This record gives sequence, structure tokens and C-alpha cells, in this order.
Amino acid sequence: MFRRFAPLLAVLLVLTGCATRPAEENSAAPPESEGTFPITVAAPGAPAVTLEAQPRRIVSLSPSATETLFALGAGPQVVAVDTASTYPPEAPHSQLSGLSPDPEAIAAYRPDLVVVYADTGGLTDALAKIGAKTLVMPDAKTLDDAYAQFVALGRATGHQAEGESLARQARDDIDKIVADTPKPARPLSYYWELDQTYYSVTSATFVGQVLTRFGLTNIADGTDPHASGGYPQLSAERILRANPDLIFLADSKCCGQNGQTVAARPGWNTLTAVQHNHVIALDDDIASRWSPRIVELVRTVADAVTHAGA
Amino acid sequence: MPDTRTRLRAPVLAGGLLVLVAVLLCAVLAGASDLGWQRVLAEIWAQVTGGQSPLSAREAAIVWQLRVPRVLLASIVGAALAVSGATFQGVFRNPLADPYLLGAAAGAGLAATLVVVLAPAVTGWVVGPLPPAAFAGALGGVGLSWLVGRSAGGSTSTLLLAGVAVASFLTAIQTFAQQLDTQTIRQVYTWMLGGLNVTGWRQVAIAVPYVAVAAVVLCLSARLLDVLALGDAEAASLGLRPGRIRLVVLAAASLATAAAVSVSGLIGFVGIVVPHVVRMLAGSSYRVVIPLSLIGGAAFLVLADQLARTIMPGELPLGVVTAFTGAPFFAWILRSSRRRLS
Amino acid sequence: MTALSLRGMRSGYGDCPVVQGVSVEVPDGGWLAIVGPNGAGKSTVLKTVAGLLAAQGEVLIGGRPRLPRKQLARIVGYAPQDPAIPVGLTVTDYVLLGRTPHLGLLARESRHDLSIVEEVLARLDLAPLAGRRIDLLSGGERQRAVLARVLAQRASLLLLDEPTTGLDLGHAQALLELIDRLRREDGITVVSTLHDLTFAAQYADQLLMLDHGTAVAAGAPAEVLTTEALTRYYGASAEVRETSRGELAVLPVRPGSGANPAGADAPPGGTATSGR
Repeated sequence: MFRRFAPLLAVLLVLTGCATRPAEENSAAPPESEGTFPITVAAPGAPAVTLEAQPRRIVSLSPSATETLFALGAGPQVVAVDTASTYPPEAPHSQLSGLSPDPEAIAAYRPDLVVVYADTGGLTDALAKIGAKTLVMPDAKTLDDAYAQFVALGRATGHQAEGESLARQARDDIDKIVADTPKPARPLSYYWELDQTYYSVTSATFVGQVLTRFGLTNIADGTDPHASGGYPQLSAERILRANPDLIFLADSKCCGQNGQTVAARPGWNTLTAVQHNHVIALDDDIASRWSPRIVELVRTVADAVTHAGA
Repeated sequence: MPDTRTRLRAPVLAGGLLVLVAVLLCAVLAGASDLGWQRVLAEIWAQVTGGQSPLSAREAAIVWQLRVPRVLLASIVGAALAVSGATFQGVFRNPLADPYLLGAAAGAGLAATLVVVLAPAVTGWVVGPLPPAAFAGALGGVGLSWLVGRSAGGSTSTLLLAGVAVASFLTAIQTFAQQLDTQTIRQVYTWMLGGLNVTGWRQVAIAVPYVAVAAVVLCLSARLLDVLALGDAEAASLGLRPGRIRLVVLAAASLATAAAVSVSGLIGFVGIVVPHVVRMLAGSSYRVVIPLSLIGGAAFLVLADQLARTIMPGELPLGVVTAFTGAPFFAWILRSSRRRLS
Repeated sequence: MTALSLRGMRSGYGDCPVVQGVSVEVPDGGWLAIVGPNGAGKSTVLKTVAGLLAAQGEVLIGGRPRLPRKQLARIVGYAPQDPAIPVGLTVTDYVLLGRTPHLGLLARESRHDLSIVEEVLARLDLAPLAGRRIDLLSGGERQRAVLARVLAQRASLLLLDEPTTGLDLGHAQALLELIDRLRREDGITVVSTLHDLTFAAQYADQLLMLDHGTAVAAGAPAEVLTTEALTRYYGASAEVRETSRGELAVLPVRPGSGANPAGADAPPGGTATSGR
């Protein structure tokens, strides 16, 4: 999908390059570099970071950020990604942990920019000592947050135009998909499964908001969608009682769940979603990240809604 | 002369069983989803008499495939943990002993972590490889403690210390394994908090044989536990072999604990509190404490699980509920019995 | 018939022998008191006879060596120095435990066992306390309950380790009188360790004095309890006197006052004390 935009990007870059004042030309700089540094960047809900120069050695400890970085074309600048960053396959894998980052292990890669999704335990200070900036890209709460992160990462890596274009394209694609999906005759309900012990998401979460755009109601909402931080644990009884029209499985890769395993659960074969085969096994990663692949998720949901509403 | 022995008298036993049946019935009639207790009662009656039920197939599935097995499993697990706790308290002559003392919890936790870390994409890990692994881990932990304790002399105090050492060791390995793959932490943590969330008839079938065997062995051994309370020297002078009795009784109790842990995770508090409550209400002899702990533990956990699944829209971890409900009740009993004694 | 015969008995904990070379014979219905300073091994001898410690040498109970555990428990009743008092059991429950050697492993107590317990409680004057919790009894009552349990065993040889621990003079005397009476009525043999040498002299037929694990004197109380023996083995200064009723009494005498065979330094200034 992104390769389609490469010629467009190139044109945009050339135009932008002509428009700005001549920046410090680095003879070793790749052609995509822009002279917009130093620059101050902040993701929504995260502290601002000032980058003096275009980062050349980026370490990404956030799987969503990794995907976005490579989508922006900043791949060559990335020297290491954490163990959870499984996409794209060509990303430089390492043993770094995103959940409990070790400044010493990170320092071995001599980064100048480290992207994380949370700063716990004074990571920013520790990394500053080795000369690296820390950019926090927290969990996106809304689609707008996600788009803003694309833009922020673009600016931070010297791919400002790509960032804005990614954001704009994602927004346009999603809007179009939603608009093109035929509205079902009556509002459909859904159950989103995070794992086999019936942990779910409410409509107050990022994923929940995406699905709300299709007019779907979430059976996990109950009286307060913000209860349990948006991630309540349901019981089989409640799910059966609610009889959701759609069942989304976000645990197909981690826990091997699919239509057959769900139908084999005690009592679940009485659900209409199981009987009419409206159980959708999603790719766990796509379902839990806020990278440009969110468009694929939206597409999958749209197909499911169309199929179920018919 | 009036019979001043402490014995399990028929009215007490009958009363206890009656309470248990009432609790079970209440738990089946009311649940997380509002089916209406009259309708559920009608459904049960229809199944018994072969008549017409007001529930749809899906609602009937809720009752028979989800609620009834879950309630039964809660009673089995509660009985297992309570009787096991009573046994441990008797063997170690320590009122603070619980069923996890000899490394059962640490062993089960380690096994669960290894399953989650090493076989993450196995279909149905919660109902597939996890329960037998937890079972084996629990028994392995106790077995290791027993071997270590015996090599150091075999008295109750060395056994206790061995249990502490083994539990710490296994927990350390578990923590290390979790660090290898930090994604698994939440899954293991959820399991460790204890819960009867993913249950069906299959779990009941798994747990019943072990708990039944253990319950029979322990009820028959109740008198021996009383003698064991005199200490090894006096028990031996009365013609018993304290070491052998300890082995049999601890093996039975650990079997029950392992079965409980394998289907429900680590539920605490039941094993310590229920035997004490039974003692306060019915007497200290194990002839009374063992059978009544079975009944009391079953009723207690059924009620706690009832609370865990109905009080909030989401599920509360069962271990949290047992502590919250058990602790104040225990304190109240302590106060009222102290007034009676002094 | 000799109830208990020890010849060259040696025993201890692990590889370390605590007592050795102990030889004594106690006839049926006799009372042997084992005396000696602290750490002499008195309790060890009792535990060995009770079968709780492995012994070398000869230990014959009723003329038979090496009885199996269950059979031994029907003959020998052992009450340790610090009996465990299970919290919450009634006196009846506790005494009923003494019937264990006569029951199968999984058997319940019968009416017969209960009647034995009732009878024992009546004899020891514990009937009014039958339903009381044992941990709520006074010291004297508790020692009687321990004795009741040992008696419920229907043992013919009682091994009592310091039965008068924690009892005042009156209660101690009452208990010892009780044991003596039971001994005469039932023909039970008693082997006890006794701290108080006067009690030992007054109640026991025979004394066995241990020091550092070896038997240093055995025989009638008058033979064993001499001033020299007390000085030599106890390091104590005492006199052995006869009371007006002809019983022996061991009287501690303060060192440095009156005749002191150990030859302590005369007090400076010399308080004039009259000799005997």
C-alpha cells in the first residue's frame, strides 16, 4: 500500500525542499532528508522532545512505532527494534525488551533517538546520559491520536511530508471504508475477545472507538464503559446472555482461537454468531497496534459487518 | 455419665449439608446474567419431571453448561482447600498453616508459567495443557519439599523449613521464566489470582476423583490427626508411626490441593480460615474439623464465587473476594468466641 | 516377675551416646526413681525404655526384648516431661487418646473404650472436669489428666518423666500418693525421674543415680542417698536425715555454715557455729 505513494512522496519532498530555506547540507545525507532540524516534537499526551539533528540511529521499543517508522520510509535509520516488534519482517530485531527497557542494553546500539510507549523508571534521564533522546509514543486513545503520532514520528525522523501524508491517507481510507459499508437493518452488537479468559475491550478503548464508527454496540460496555480501565473480564454466562451478533477474536495467534475452538466451548454453540459463522479471527498484532495497518483492521471489520448485516 | 466426647453428631452434619444444598441452589438460581430465579427453577423442575421449560436453548445452556458446573466446581475446590488446610494445621500443629505451605502454590505457579512461556500458541492453553501442568507442578513442589525435609531429619519443623526453601526457589525460577517473555506476565498473573471463569463439566470431571479420594482418606484419618497433635514422641509411645501417618495424610491433602489448583488457580484464605471457623463453632477435634471443613469450605467458596461473578459487571478475581469476605467474618467470630471464653 | 530389666544399656541421639552401662532390675509393682544432676541422661533412659530411642545392650520388658511398637504401647505408658496439650480438646477426648494402642488404624472407639475412660476419670477425681477443655485446666488438674491418659492405656509399666513439674508441695504430694495407691491396687510398675530427692526417697523402692550418663549408684534410697554422693555427683551441700516417722529426707545445707566435708574456706572472722 505504501509503495503506491512513493512517487507522490518524492514529488512532495522535492517541492518542500525547494520551499524551505537552504538548510545545512550534509553531503552524506540520503536524498529524503529535510532541513527542518532542530525540531520539537510531541505525541498527544506525551512530553515534548527537541531533536537537534535528524536521527540516524533509532531504536524502537514500541511495535506500533516500528511499523509506522518503516511505513514512513525511516527504515534505514532504524538500528534496532524490540522483541515484540514483529512487523515488518525486515526490521532489525534485537533482544531488547519494550516492557522493561534496560538503558545499558540500549546503549550498546549507540542510538541518538529511542522511541518508547511509556517512560517508566526514569528512562529518559538514563538515556540522556548516553546522548540519546527519548520520544514517548503512548497508547493511542483515539484515531486522531494515531494520526497525530504518524505526523509526529514523521517530523522527528525527518520525514515530515511522509508523516502528514500517511495520516491523511489513513484518515481518508478509513472514512471511505466506513461510508461504503452498508448499514445493517438493526444495530449489531459485538464481543471482542482479548484472551481465553474472556478479557474484552469496551467502547472507550482505541479499538472500541474504531468499531463504534460502524454503529456497533459493545456487549462489554455494561453501565460504565470506563470501568476496569476499559479492559474488563467478562464471564461466559454474560457473553451467552448478550448473544453478540459478531465475535472478534484478537487471540488467534497467541492462543490459537478460531471459529472451531469457539464453537467447542461449553454452551457456545447456542450463540447466533457461532451458528451463522460470524466469528472473525483477527491477526493479534493488527488488532492491538495503532500503526498505519489500522486500515487493514477497519477493512476486516467492514467485511464482517457487511456479511452479518446482509 | 454424659458423653463428653467431641464427635460429629448427626444433627450437626445434617444441618451443615442442608446449608450447603441451599447455598448451591441459590448460586444456580442467580448469576451474572439475569435469567430470573423463577424461570431457572422452572427449568430445573422441567428437567427433573420432563416437562416444558420457559428457557430458550441458549438460556438453558447457560444454566446447565455454565452455571451448574461452575457452582459444583466451586464447592469441590472449596472443600478440597479447606480440608487440606485443616490437615496441614493438624500435621504441623500450627494454626497458620495453609495448603500451600509445602510449595504446592509455587510449584503450580512455575508449571503454569512454563506452559504459558513455552507453548503460547497451543490451542486452548487454559483448558488444555495448563491444568495437568499445574497439577504436576503442585505435586512436584510438595514432593521436593518432602525429600529435602526428610534428608534433614524429617521432623515437622524441618519439613516446614524445607517447604519454605523450596517455595522460594521455585518462585525464583518462575520469576526468571516470566522475564524471558514478559508478554506472558498478565496471563500468568490472571491465573494466579484464582478464578473459576473458564469452567465446564470437563473441569468438574477432572477434579472430582482426586478430591473424593483425598476426602475419604482424610475423614478416615481424622482420629490419627488428633493423636498426632500430641507430638511425635507421645504419638510413637501410643504405638503409631508419626512419620508414616504424616506421609499418607500430607499426600492426600496435597492431592486435593493440586486438583483444586489445577482447575482454579491459586485461591487463598479458604485453607486457613474455614478450619478455624469450624473449630470455633463445633470443637477442636479433627473428627469434627475434617468433615465439617469439607462442607464449610464448599459453602464458603460457592458464596464467594457467587459474589465474584455478580457484584460487578466484570469478573472479580476469586482470591480477592475470599480475602475480602473471609477476613472480617473471621475477625467477628474471633471476637464473639473470645467473649465466650473469658 | 521382673517388669523391667536393663543390662549394660547404651543409647543416645545419633552417634553420640548419652547413657551407657546402665543396669538395673525392677520387680513387678516396684517403683524405681531415676535421680541425678541435670544433663545426667535421666530422660534419655526413660525414652529408651519407651522405645523412642534405639538402644544397645539389654532392655527386657516383662522378660521380653524388642517388642513391636504396637504391643509395646499396650504395656508401656510414657508421659514426657512437657506433655503436649492440644488446644480445644476436652479432658475426655484427651484421655480417650490413650486407647489408641488398642484400636486398629482406622477403627473408632467403642463403648468399652469409653467406659474405661470414664472409670479412669472417676479414679483420678477428674469426672467433674470431663467436659472441660484441657488447656483450661490448672497445673495439678492437667498432670492428673496426663496420668489418666497413660492409665487409660492399661499399661503395666508407667514411665513418668518429672510428673511433679510445676506442682506445688501439696499438689505434688497428692499426685505421688495417687500414683502409689494405683500401683498397689493394680500392681503397676512405676519408673519415674524425680527432681526432688526427698520425694524420691519417700516414694520409690529403688533409686538409680546417674551422672554424666553412667550409673553411679543403685539400690535402696538409704544406700544411694548419702551426703558424699550428693557432694560428689551433685556438687551440693546437703544432709540426709530421718524424719520422726522414719522416712528419709534430704535437707540442703548452706555451704560454709556448719560442718562442710568439702573443706571450703572458713569465713573470715569465723562465725561460731555449733557442730552436730
